[in-house]
Amino acid sequence: MKITVNEEQQEVHEGISISELIKENNVAQPEMVSVQLNEEFLDRDDFAATILKEGDVVDFLYFMGGGMR
Amino acid sequence: MKQQTLAIHTAPERIDPHGALSMPVYHSAAFEFDSAADMEGAFTGRLHKASYSRVVNPTVAYLEDKVTSLTGATATYAFNSGMAAIHNALVTFAESGKNIVTSKHLFGNTFSLIGGTLRRFGVKAKFIDLTDISKVREAVDADTCCIYAEIITNPQMEVADFRALADIAHQHNIPLIADTTIIPFTRFSAKDLGIDIEVVSSTKYISGGATSLGGLMINYGRFDFVDKRVRMELLYNLGAIMTPHAAYMQTLGLETLEARYAMQSANALAIAKALREVEGIESVNYVGLEDNPYYELSRSQFGDTAGAMLTFDLPTREDCWKLIDNVKLIRRATNLFDNRTLIIHPASTIFGNFPASVRRSMQVNDTTIRLSVGLEHPEDIINDIKQAIQ
Repeated sequence: MKITVNEEQQEVHEGISISELIKENNVAQPEMVSVQLNEEFLDRDDFAATILKEGDVVDFLYFMGGGMR
Repeated sequence: MKQQTLAIHTAPERIDPHGALSMPVYHSAAFEFDSAADMEGAFTGRLHKASYSRVVNPTVAYLEDKVTSLTGATATYAFNSGMAAIHNALVTFAESGKNIVTSKHLFGNTFSLIGGTLRRFGVKAKFIDLTDISKVREAVDADTCCIYAEIITNPQMEVADFRALADIAHQHNIPLIADTTIIPFTRFSAKDLGIDIEVVSSTKYISGGATSLGGLMINYGRFDFVDKRVRMELLYNLGAIMTPHAAYMQTLGLETLEARYAMQSANALAIAKALREVEGIESVNYVGLEDNPYYELSRSQFGDTAGAMLTFDLPTREDCWKLIDNVKLIRRATNLFDNRTLIIHPASTIFGNFPASVRRSMQVNDTTIRLSVGLEHPEDIINDIKQAIQ
C-alpha cells in the first residue's frame, strides 16, 4: 500500500506499525523522534499498536533546536 | 496615574543607602538577615524578602513590582527568557495525564515545548483551531489543565476571541494562559479579557534595543495556589529567575516602552500600507490594516495598535531569499521589536527543523517574509525593500 512519509510517497506492506516504519526508514535517533499521523501527534506508547492504512500521512519530526523569535 | 507615568514612577523599596534614583543592580547571590525569625520568614515564604538571588533579588523584584503596578496583576515573576516564563506558566498547571488545549499556530519553541518536551512527561497536547470556538468547547475536557494561546499568532497573524476562550476556561475552572508579546501590556488589559496568566517575552519591546533576554509571567490572581507554586516551588526547583543585570536593563526599557512602541507601531502601519503598492509583493499581512479579517476583533481586544510585526508574501521561496540577501539597511536577524528593523524567512529558520508538511499544517509558508519594524523612518525601510526586490 502507499503512504506518505515526510512528503515522499512510500510503498509499505499491509499491517505495518509506526514502530516498524521507524525501523524500515532508519530514522535517526528513534528515541528522540516525534510522530505525526494525519496531522495528529501520537503518544510514544502507541507507536507499536498503531497500524497504518492506505493513504496515511506520516511525519517524523524532532523537537530540537529551532528558533529564536 | 496613566501607564506611561507609572512606568517611570513606580516607587522602589527605599533600600539603597545612597538614595540612588535608578534601582541599583544587586549583584549578590545571598542577602543577610538581622534575626533567625526573619530568616525563617524569608525561607518559608511568610516574608517577601531577598534571601538568595535564585528566588528573590531586589533588582528583579523592582521590575516585577513595576509590571504588577502597570497591569493591575496580583504578582509578576521575571524569568531569564520568554521560553522560561512559558515553561514555568505551563508547569504551574500541567501534570502527567493532563492535556493542554492550544493551536499549532505557536512560536516554534512553544510548539516544541508543548508537543515534544512536556509530552515526554505525560502532558498531552490538543492542537486545534482556536479561532473556532465550537472546536475549543469540544476539545476541553475533565483532564484539560489550561487553554494556551498567542494574542496575534506569528507568522500567521491570526487572532482568537479571547473573551470566548476565557469563558470556556472558567466554566471548567482552568486558566486561560496567553502570550501577549506582540502588543505591550500597557496598551490593553489582559485581565479585562479574562486572561488569567499573561506571559511575555520581555526580550522584545521591554528590553528596548534587544539588549537582554527575559520573560515575564503575570498572574491575575484567579487561582490561589499559583503564587505559592511559583515562588516557593518553581523558582527554587527550576532556577530560571531573571538575572539582576537583565532586570536593570529591562527596567530602563520599560520606562521608555510607550514612546518606542508608539513610533514602532505607527511605522509598521505606514510600511504595511506602502508595501501593498510595491510591485512584486503579492500580499501584506498586518492586523492593523482595515481590511484585515482580524482588524475589528483585534481592536476590540487589544486597542488601536496592532504591534510592530508584519509579514508579506512573494511568489516563491527563492524570491524571498533574494530579497533578504539584497537589503542594505534592514538587518538579517531573528528577534522582534529591536530598535532596528529585522527581516527573516520564518519557514527556513524559526521553523526550519520541521518537515515541510508540518510547516504547512502550521500555515508557515515558504513564500512568507517577516518584518519586525524598528524605529527608523519608515520611508527608508520602504525604499530598502523596493531596491531589494528589483
